[in-house]
This record gives sequence, structure tokens and C-alpha cells, in this order.
Amino acid sequence: MPSASSSNHLPGEIAISVQKLGLTYTTTIDRRPTLKARVRTLGRGTKHTRVVQALDDVTMDVSYGSVLGVVGANGAGKSTLMRVISGILPPSRGRVEVYGKVSTLLALGVGFSPSLSGRENVELGGLAAGMSRKEIAALFDEIADFAELGEAIDAPMRTYSSGMYARLGFSVAATVRPDILIVDEALSTGDAHFREKSLNRIKELRSDVRALILVSHSMTTVRDLCNEVVWLDKGKLMMRGEPNPVVDAYQTFLKVGKSAAIDEGI
Amino acid sequence: MEVFEPFRAGLPPLGRYWRSLWARRSFISEYARSELREKHYDSVFGQVWLVLNPLLLSGVYFILIVIIGGHSDKLRYGHLTGCLFLFYFVSNTMSGGLGSITRGGKLILNTAFPRIMLPISATVIAIFRFLPTIVVFLVIRSILGFPIGWAMLWAFPIALITTILALGLAILISVINVYFRDISSFLPYFTRTWLYLSPILYEVSALKDKLRTIENFNPLFSLLNSWSRAMVHAQPPLASDMFASLGWALGFFIIGTYFFLSRERDFAVRL
Repeated sequence: MPSASSSNHLPGEIAISVQKLGLTYTTTIDRRPTLKARVRTLGRGTKHTRVVQALDDVTMDVSYGSVLGVVGANGAGKSTLMRVISGILPPSRGRVEVYGKVSTLLALGVGFSPSLSGRENVELGGLAAGMSRKEIAALFDEIADFAELGEAIDAPMRTYSSGMYARLGFSVAATVRPDILIVDEALSTGDAHFREKSLNRIKELRSDVRALILVSHSMTTVRDLCNEVVWLDKGKLMMRGEPNPVVDAYQTFLKVGKSAAIDEGI
Repeated sequence: MEVFEPFRAGLPPLGRYWRSLWARRSFISEYARSELREKHYDSVFGQVWLVLNPLLLSGVYFILIVIIGGHSDKLRYGHLTGCLFLFYFVSNTMSGGLGSITRGGKLILNTAFPRIMLPISATVIAIFRFLPTIVVFLVIRSILGFPIGWAMLWAFPIALITTILALGLAILISVINVYFRDISSFLPYFTRTWLYLSPILYEVSALKDKLRTIENFNPLFSLLNSWSRAMVHAQPPLASDMFASLGWALGFFIIGTYFFLSRERDFAVRL
């Protein structure tokens, strides 16, 4: 694999600084909010929205040349944190400073329009992310090669399998060679061959002195790839440090939670 | 370095928003092009299909008017067709804008970009669907032998005002649809009612004074009157009509955009 442009940052330089970050949002309880449901429950005092405290006073830094693992149970706020760092969700409190170009995995909106082809989706996603036509054209062949989709790249994306979606998404995110790459639980999809390929790409990007954030439920991957791990629970930062102790603490916590649930007879 | 901080007064920093929108203008044209290509509007038969629907409708309405009203002339048919085409532009923009945010699911969840790009793209798509109908109308009016004059050039500013109005409505309705997903089932009734309340099946001159006063509350009333004067009769529009239309258009555009920007941060958690 050619390592075209190495990042122009020094190892140890700060890539992301998250300061006292808090995020509260209101979301709907119904999956599909409708006027009909609102009108029918009028005067009954039914609640249609709830306030979610997704992140609470999170402070952390990510430096160049390192891979930060983010672990936590479902709903811990991992994806929300990634969305704040990539500028998708504005914070409610605190401040996030990003020193470089971020690319989230699946960030380039791949699969945005199922009726359009993979090629068109990659182009549109790139344009939406602020790339120029030229930049996209220059990278397109490499993306298509890496994803190994063959002729399917010109077929509508509604015909893709979930593995094909994930492969195209990873290829886009990893090929644009961002300064900061965020990979959100994408390594679990795709077959063994593609998984190995993406792991190698991540290692390669790490040696290029880029900053990587890896959100994963696979503790083996986290122990294997990361230099540092943060553990989030219910929006709060529980622990951060070397991968092994943090992952151990997290796994103990999970086991304790599980046995408590069994004791309660749930 | 990029800094993300809480919004002041619920709005994103407007300077940065505008710059980021401008930098992504090629997304809008590319998206419109891909969508039109996907629906085969780039082929001759695709274009014929686009024009056929409003054309057949105008035929149906014309027959209705002849049967009910008993009398009719070609000017009336010209007015009906020309105004129906303009009305369809507004209504197509609204139905395109309706789902523009809710359909953008993955892109909105995973990419940082000014969301207003999506209803703008829907408007651009509607403009491309509107253009061939103007050509068809020009052919019809030359076959029918309508007067030709410089006053017809007023069609350009009128079309521009219509576009601003349609864009404002598309932006507004795209936000409403995020909160109430069943708006799409009400929209056809709304559009149909609006069609009958607008001076399309009848001309403004046929209305009683009292009705005309009430019609001032219809944002399309003075706009359609101006359009008909310019495109059908080749007469300059009334200044009062032009100002009223511009007022409605800017009003909807400003209110829609403000509403959109103040709600935009919610989209990623509401989809």
C-alpha cells in the first residue's frame, strides 16, 4: 500500500482537545413522530419527547501518532462524542478544539441515496464533506480498489449487502487520508479478509503520525491496536489510561452488572 | 484549528455557515444532476413525461370550464396552462423539499455540512423540471397567436420571486416534516385547495372586489396575476402586485430560513 502523503504533524502534538464537554438533547419517544399521534393524545398529558443527557463533563486529549480506543456499553455516549468531535452535533456546554482535518467512518455519507450508484454516493458524500470534485476524482480509483466491489460500484446502492456498504464506507474514510480518522464500530462488519485488510490500514495510518479514534465493542481489537483507552458510561468519563487496565476494569464492571442482574432475577 | 462551542441565541455562527455552504455549492448541482439522471429526465421521453402531466391536467380543467361555464376562449386556455405550470413549480418544490431532510438520514448522521443544502437541492431539481414546461408554454402561445411584446420579459423577475417563495416554503416544510412525519399525507389536500383558491382556473378580473381583498392573503395571488399579465397578455404587471409578491416571497424565505437554522442542530438526534 502506498503511503502517499504522510501527515505533517509531529508525534505527541495535540490533535483534539475536549474540554468539559456536555451535551443534552431532546429526542422523540416515537420512532416516527406524527401530527396524528400528537392530535389524538391531545389533553392526555402523554409525553412525546424526552431529554437525554448524552455527555456530561467529558475532558480528554488525543495526540498525533496515537490510537485512542473508546469503550462503553450501548448508550454510553460513544457515538455522540464522535459526532461532536466531527462537528455534526454542536455541544451544549464546554468546548472542543480540533487541530486538523477529521474524517468519520461512513462519514462521507456513503449510502445516502439508495437509488444512486456507489460511485455517485461516494462523489456526493465527498462533496457534502467539503472536498472538491478534483480531490474526489483523484482518490476514486483507490477507493474502488480498496473496497473490492468490482462492477457493483456502478449499481444502485439498494442492491448492496451490509458488508458491501461497510467496505465502501471504510474505504472512503481510510483513503481520504485525514489527519484525524474516527472509526466507529465498523470493523465488526465485513468478512475476515476485509477485516484484516482494514486493520492493516489502520496500523499503517498510525505509523503515518495521524490521530485515530477507534470505537469498538471488540476488546481484542482495542487491546491490540490502541495506545490509550477511554471508558465512557452514561455520558461520563469513567477511566482513561493504558489499554489493559482500562479494558480490564470495564470488563469487570460489565461482569458485576451482569451478576447483579442475575441476582435480581431479571 | 476548528473550535466547536455551544451556539449563541440558538443559531449557528452565520458567517461560518455561509462560507461552508458556498464551498459546497458543487454538491447542490451534482445532487440535482444525479437525481434527474436517475429519474431519466435527461432523456427526451423523460422530458416529455414531465411536461405531459401538467399539460393533460390543463386540458382536463379546460374541458371542465367549457362544460360548466359554457363559454371559453383561447386566452383563457393560455392563462390556465401558463399559471398551472407556475403553480406546479411551487408545488413540486414543496413536495421535493418535504422529505429532503428525513431522506438525508445517513448523510446527516455522519457528515458535518450545512443541512440547508438539502432543501436548496430540492428546489434546484424543481427548477430543472420547470424549465421545459416554459418552452412548451411558449410553443402553445405562439400556436394560439397570443400577442408578443417586451413586457413578456417581466417573466424573469416574476420567476425569480417565485423561486424565492418556493425555496422558502421548501425550507420551512422540510423542518416541519422532521417533527411531524405524516405531513406528506396532508400536503396533497393542501396543494389541491391552494390550486382552487388561486387565480388559475379563473382570471383575477373575473373576481368580485370583496373576494379580491380576501385573496390578498394568498401568497400566490398577485404572483399568478403578474405571471398571467406578462406571459399570456404581454402586459407589464401591476407595481402593487410585484411588491406584494416580493413581500410574501421574502417573508417566507426569511421565516423559513430562521426556523431551519434554529432547529438544524436537532436533526442528527431526531432522525
